[in-house]
Formats: sequence, structure tokens, C-alpha cells
Amino acid sequence: MMIGASRKTAQRPLSSGKKLFRKLWAQKYLMLMSVPVLLYVMLFNYYPLWGWRYAFQNLDLSTIKKGAAWIGWGNFEWLFKEKLFWLGFRNTLAMSLINLVFGTTSSVLLAILLNEVNTRAFKRTVQTVTYLPHFLSMVIVVGMAQNMFVTDGPVNGILMKLGIVDAPVWWLGEGRYFWWLVGIINVWKEVGWNSIIYISTMASIDPTLYEAASIDGAGRFQRILNVTLPGIKSTFVVLLIMNIGHLMEAGFEIQYLLGNKQVYDFSQTLDIFVLEFGIQNNKYGRAIAAGMFKSVVGIILLFGANFVAKRLDEETLL
Amino acid sequence: MRKLLALLLTVMMILTMAPAAMAEAADPIVVTVFRGDPGDQPTEDNKIYKLIEEEFGITFEIEFLAGDLDETLGTKFAGEDYPDLFDAGNSAEKAIQAGALIDLLPYISEEKTPNLWNHIKDLLPQLVNENGELFIIPNYGINYNAQIQNACNGPAFFIQKQVLAWAGYPQIKTLNEYFDLIEKYIAANPTNANGAAYEGFAILCEDWRHFCLINPVQHLMGRPNDGEVIINVNSGNWETETFIDKPYAKAYYAKLNEVYNKGLINPDTFVMTYDQYIAKLSSGTVLGMFDQTWDFGTATAALETAGMYENTYIALPLVYDEEYGYGVIEEHYLNGAVPNKDRGFGISVNCEYPERMIDLFENLLSDKWQKILQWGIEGEDYYVENGRMLMTEEQYKNRQDAAWKMANTALTIWESAPKKQGTQDDGNAWAHSDQAENYFNLMSDYDKEFLTAYGYKKPADFFNAPIELAPYGEAWQIDKSPIQDDYDKYLLIQDQWLPKVIMSANQAELDANWDAFVAEITPYAQIYTEFMQAEVLKLVEQATK
Repeated sequence: MMIGASRKTAQRPLSSGKKLFRKLWAQKYLMLMSVPVLLYVMLFNYYPLWGWRYAFQNLDLSTIKKGAAWIGWGNFEWLFKEKLFWLGFRNTLAMSLINLVFGTTSSVLLAILLNEVNTRAFKRTVQTVTYLPHFLSMVIVVGMAQNMFVTDGPVNGILMKLGIVDAPVWWLGEGRYFWWLVGIINVWKEVGWNSIIYISTMASIDPTLYEAASIDGAGRFQRILNVTLPGIKSTFVVLLIMNIGHLMEAGFEIQYLLGNKQVYDFSQTLDIFVLEFGIQNNKYGRAIAAGMFKSVVGIILLFGANFVAKRLDEETLL
Repeated sequence: MRKLLALLLTVMMILTMAPAAMAEAADPIVVTVFRGDPGDQPTEDNKIYKLIEEEFGITFEIEFLAGDLDETLGTKFAGEDYPDLFDAGNSAEKAIQAGALIDLLPYISEEKTPNLWNHIKDLLPQLVNENGELFIIPNYGINYNAQIQNACNGPAFFIQKQVLAWAGYPQIKTLNEYFDLIEKYIAANPTNANGAAYEGFAILCEDWRHFCLINPVQHLMGRPNDGEVIINVNSGNWETETFIDKPYAKAYYAKLNEVYNKGLINPDTFVMTYDQYIAKLSSGTVLGMFDQTWDFGTATAALETAGMYENTYIALPLVYDEEYGYGVIEEHYLNGAVPNKDRGFGISVNCEYPERMIDLFENLLSDKWQKILQWGIEGEDYYVENGRMLMTEEQYKNRQDAAWKMANTALTIWESAPKKQGTQDDGNAWAHSDQAENYFNLMSDYDKEFLTAYGYKKPADFFNAPIELAPYGEAWQIDKSPIQDDYDKYLLIQDQWLPKVIMSANQAELDANWDAFVAEITPYAQIYTEFMQAEVLKLVEQATK
């Protein structure tokens, strides 16, 4: 590619503008096809960035009409001094990490298990059953979870019958359980959905590799270890990098619905903090400052993960 | 051809200009309405709205709250997307702050709008803001002639009627008597007829409804509802103090701790949502709670519909027993009528016909329309006998039927509009539900028997007569938005710590939790006290000037 390009330049020098135009013209249908996507990104991802200016203004109800004044880093200073902001930051990261670790391992595991199943009907059924909860609204899922985990609910009933605990556990009110509850609920809801991409990657692994491995005397576990896992490695890494970029999004609904004041120290995420101390109190500048902070941290995490992956000589995203 | 075109253009111009010229009162207009609470749309052929349309040429397009109030309002403010009639519910202060509403005073005068003028003239000093503007005419709390109080509509300790009946209708006046009775009842009846376990006492802690957790102490000390402060109304100096961080509050939470450790309080009560709470009350398994009557109306209605009258609640005005060491406390749960300041309809800056709206409120406040709105049509919804307005059983039943109400009342508008309460000049009550005959006769047989056993005619007979309203009104109404961040944290600390205190395993843990709570809340309590003190003094000065 590089060689071809340089040879071309040597033969017939063209101005770079003309060259670009030619290339564009040659790919005019591709260009046309990308216009809607481009518009979408511009409208929903770039245009809102214009609103970031409010992070530096004292925008609230009383100033929304008259126009807010510039206050420099005031909103950020307020945020960084606020204990609840850092609590939200901690909880967001913690729950995201739990989701990432458990979500990824559980879906990879499910995909491997299903990949090893030969009965088509059984495989299909399990797949459908596990991905259906993805389509349930979080309100319903949390409602079900609350009924399961109340002190006199079925979870405590089973645990007590099995003799694992001897008194009902206050699942919904003890802060230390909250992160794990969120993790469990998220895994239950998303495991089937997230495993789809791994299952399809596994389906594209060349079957002759498995045959060759068998002939070489590899058992089931060795085939998984040496054929299946390397086969999904690149997908895994790309997804991991993308998910790390989303670490600041721990979800909002589940914490908002399942949380309460008893577990507030563990349930309050940045999004809830923004809602309570920004939007509900009509301090819009603060809300946007916190949103900016989230985005910046997200970008740093994304590039960091990409950098590490590059260093480890893995597939990278960027 | 050209002439025809010119004619056409002229006609078109006239047509387009006509609405702008707008003037005649009878022009049919569609008024957009926002209500800051959830509700149901009236039916298309609703008979009262039809009358309004005939007389005033006004039809309503109503938007009810769906979702979170502050979020919904936030989007409205950001887009300056206001309805004509704007009831921003419990966050109306924000609508005022955002400049969404117009000042009503320039439209109201003794000559032009005598009804409205009469309605508010005595209260004006209390109702206007610092700049002398009035944005909302209170939707409730303005009484004509005698105030009628048949039942406690506000805060109280509640207990299932069957518990009192089981104990032979005792007079329960103090905190210890109340919990002793509940304890005895549960010991004798651990489950109901269906085998579901009774819960002794429930405490709703969700969001703003946490008043069930944080408000009772002031009442136990003999004060009406001032929100989170106790105000000395006798000294003349209006000393204002927070009570939640005081030893006399610890006494209440220590009592709850004792009750909790006896197993009468379910820990899930601290994490349940409002819906779960209502479901629990509706199932009839909760024996008692502190709440406000209006807060669990749906549960009461559900119990009555199911015929479970013995599981409905009676309000009791409890105070601390003498042994708590605060002397003999006289209860003052019922307060004089409080004008519901800054609650109800405002007219938005986007409204094109503010005069028409004022004119509508003015006319709806006339005796004729107040009767239509509150009682309905004579002969259809009520009848008159010897000058008394009465209802047949069927007419009363209709009033309890949600579907009937959507077709035959203008509740949505009436609830947020200025209205007459109290007594009419001829002695009838303004509200059909307040009328003494209706109130007693139309009660269920169970309730009649229950009250008769006590020798009472109405549930309010359990209470002392309402005291005179203090000049600052009721302090919970004070707008806290100037100290919002600190106020939020002040409440958050209570929400987080009080359940911990109640759930302490023993006295030492309780003391430690209480001390930690007090230590954490003190700085915020100070900010809050200072703010409230200044506001109370300001209000007293306004009201007495």
C-alpha cells in the first residue's frame, strides 16, 4: 500500500486536494451510504458537546432566562469538594468492574458450554431462555428481585432450609450486599444476550482445527483451552476495550430502583448524584460538569486499555 | 380573476387575524393544563366540563404528571414549554423562580373580581412574596364561616379499628399505651384469618414521604405540623429549633428500638417503596403506623372496597407519657386551616388569555359554580330537604366511584383552582364530604358502630379542637431552596441514621448510633435552624404588619 502510493506520487504529481477529490469520487456510493451515520454522530454525539459550555456557567432556574454568567471552574470545584460526588465515583467504578468481570466471564462460560452441546434443540432452548430477560424492563426485573430478596422472601427461605444462614439476611438494606446484588441481577438479565457474540465467533472457528486437535489426542478440555479460547481471543479483547471505555456507565435504572437510603453509601452512582444534586435542584451547570468529568475519565480509560492491549501485542481497537 | 384572488386574500387575512384580535369572552378557546400529580383524563362527554364549555367557551386539554415531578418541570423550564394553567404541584416554587408564571395581582381588584378579592384580601400579606407579587391563589385552606373538621386529614398515629375493638374500645392517648396495645394484640392474634402474619408498626421512609420517619416527635411534644422544627409560639420571640437532634427525639426512636427488638417492626419497612407500602396496608396486615391521612387514601379505599372495614385505620393524637419526663403534654394535632400557599394553578407567561383565565376563576368562585363543582347538579347528584343539602346512598356511592367521577365531576380543574371551604351562609357545608349528615349517615355500618362505641359522631372527636393557626402558618411550607444542598444532606443524614438507631441490638449500640447521628447532623441542623428562624420571623412580621 505504502509502496504503491509513493510510486504513484513519483510518476504523476497531483495536488493533495485533487487527489482527495478523486478518491472521494471513486468511492461516491460508499460516501453516500455513510452520510446518515455521519449525520447521526454529528447530531447526537458532537452537537451536544456545545452544551459543555454550561459547565462553566452558573446555570440554574433563576438564571435560565436572563442568561447565566461565566464562573470558570466553580462547578468543578464544588464537585471535587463534595464527599457524595466521590462516593458516587467509587460506587460507579466498583459496580462497573463487578459487571465487567462477572458479565464477561459468565457470558464466555455460557458460550463455551453451549458450544460443547451437540443437541441442537437443547442448545436453542437454553439460548432463548437465557437471552429473553434482556428484553425485560429494568423496572420489572428490580421488582422481581425485591420480591425474591425481602427478608421473608424465597432467597432467605432457601438459604435457611439449606442451613447456610440461620437468621434471615437483610439483603435489601445492608449496604455491603448492594454491589453484588446489582452484579447478580445484571448477569441474570444479560448473560444470554452477551454470549450471542461469543457463540457466533465460536461457530466461525474452522472445524478442522478441532479435528486436528482430536487426532493429536486432545481431550475436551484441551480442545476448549487450545482451540476455542484462542479462537475468540480477538473478539474478547475488542469487547473488553470497548467495555472499559464504558466503565463510567454503571447503569442508572437499577441503582435508582433497587437503592434506598439504607444502602445509599453503596447505591448512589454518579448518575444519581447528577440527578439529585444537579437536575432536581436545578443546578444544571453542575450536572453538565459532572457529565464532562465522566466523559473525560471514560476517554482516559479507553485509551489506557487500548495502550495496554497494544503493549501485550493483542488486537487493538484503535 | 385578479379580483377573486384579492377577495380570497382579504378573507384569508381576516381569518388569520381574527384569533389574534381575540376579545369576546365567548370565543371558544382550548386551554392547556398541567397538573403536577398523576391522574386520569375526564371523559369526552363529562357533564360539568360541558357546562363550563357552554358558559365560558372554554375546553381543557389536560396533561398529568407521568414520572418524576422535578425532572418533568426541568424539561418544561428548559424549553419554556408551559401550559396556560400551570399547577407545578409540590415544586411550584421552582415554577415561580423560573419566571414561568405571571403576577396575578394586577388582574384582581375589588371592582373587577369581587369573588377573588374577597377570597384572598385578608390573607394577602401572607400570600404575596417579598416583591408584593402573587403567582398562585391557594387551592385549599381558605375557609368561609366555620371551618369543618370531621376527620383528621393530616398527621397522626394510626391504628386498625379492629385492634381497638378487640381491646374493648379503650382511650389510647400516649405512645406507650399505643405500643402496649399493639404488642398485646399481636401476642393474642399473631396472624389474620388467612394466616398472614401481622406487622405491628410500619414506617414509610421513601423519598419525600419520609415524614413518617422524621416528623412524629413534634406531635408527641404537643405541637402541630411545623415540618422539621418546633417553634415556641408562647414567648413572643418565635424561637425555632430542630427537634430531631434533641434528647426528646431520642426518646421516640429508643421506644421504636424497643418495639423493633420485640419483633413488631419488620426491617423491610425501611427499604420499601411507596407502592409496596400501600400494598401492605391494603392487605390489612399492618396494625399501625405514623402517617398523614391523605398519604394512604388508596389503601383505605382498597380496604373499603374489599369490605375489610375492621382493617381500616383510625387516627389517634398520641403524646409522650408523663414518665418520659416532659410533663403532661396536651396534644395539638389539629391546626387552624392553613392556606395552601403557592399550591394550585398559576397562569403561565405563555398563556394568551390571562384575563379569560382570571375571569374563569372569578366565576367558578361564585356560589352557583362552587355548588356545581363541589356538590354537582341538584336533583341529579344531591337533593335539598328543609334547606339541607343531602345525598342518597346511591348518590354518595357514585362519589366514591372513580369512573363516575371522571364522567360527572370537574375534579381535575376544581382541585387546583381556588375554592370555597368551610360553611355556606345557609349553614350547609361547602364540600359535600364535610356535610355532617352525609358524613355520619353514609358511613359504613362498621364505622358507625365503632364511633358509637366511643360515644362519638366523627373521627375528629378523638382529637382536641383545632388550635388557632400561628401567624407564620405551618413551617413545613417554607421554601428551602436557598439552602437546598444543605437541606438535602440534613434530610439524608436522618434517612440514613434513624433506621440504624431503631435497629440497634442493645442500649450501648443505640447510644453509640445516636451520638454518631447527632455528631454528623449538627452542622446541618445549625444551618437549617438559622435559616428557618429567619424565615419564621419574616413571615410573622409580614402577617402582623
